[in-house]
Amino acid sequence: MKMIRAFIRPEKEQEVVLALEGAGFPSVTKMPVFGRGKQKGLQVGPVHYDELPKTLLMIVVDDEDEKQVVKLIHEKAKTGFIGDGKIFVSPVDTAYTVRTGEEGL
Amino acid sequence: MKEIVAIIRRDKVPEIKQVLEDLGYPSLTIQSVDGRGKQKGAMCAEMDSEMPDSYCTAAKLKPTPSTYALEHTLPKVALYVPKRMLTIVVPDDVVTKLVKSIIKVGYTGKHGDGKIFVAPIGGAVRIRTGEMDGEAIA
Repeated sequence: MKMIRAFIRPEKEQEVVLALEGAGFPSVTKMPVFGRGKQKGLQVGPVHYDELPKTLLMIVVDDEDEKQVVKLIHEKAKTGFIGDGKIFVSPVDTAYTVRTGEEGL
Repeated sequence: MKEIVAIIRRDKVPEIKQVLEDLGYPSLTIQSVDGRGKQKGAMCAEMDSEMPDSYCTAAKLKPTPSTYALEHTLPKVALYVPKRMLTIVVPDDVVTKLVKSIIKVGYTGKHGDGKIFVAPIGGAVRIRTGEMDGEAIA
């Protein structure tokens, strides 16, 4: 299994989640985060924003679905401007459902 | 080293903290998150009793027969359900024990009990002393 962590624009969150739901991946955990990237924040006139608000979506999928989910998030969260965010993929050994105690997604 | 990411009900946090403490692993990180699973959110009737009003407009209405009927014909009103995410980094050999006890305490039998993920961790540093890996989480 793979854990996909996508840092995206907050306003793109609903679009991404609905697209994932449509593709059969309804499960997602989201949290508001603040971060900065290569550009070290944002300069608007005299005001410098060091950290910008983003939404972190966390999705755990089977190995074979990884590419599809990453592609989908990429397509939907893209605006082409700086600050679209990053997607990280990391390995997950096992997943358990608390209600049943079973292993697997 | 393994990272245990447990996404659980909000009201189970104190109990789970106590259990982890009793097992000798008191260190953890808690985050407030919103999540959804296979059920794609929750309907009014299924939601946690402690659900804040903002998650459910119908819950604000006074319970009369008509609002009751309205509540039960409402489509999925809550896209996300509030949860707590616990992150615990522990040595490999205790992972199964901890996961089992989290499942035991976090269990209610209803949808929305949450998920637990176990992932490998490449390294750890204790910032105060600079200790690495195993020593850092001991």
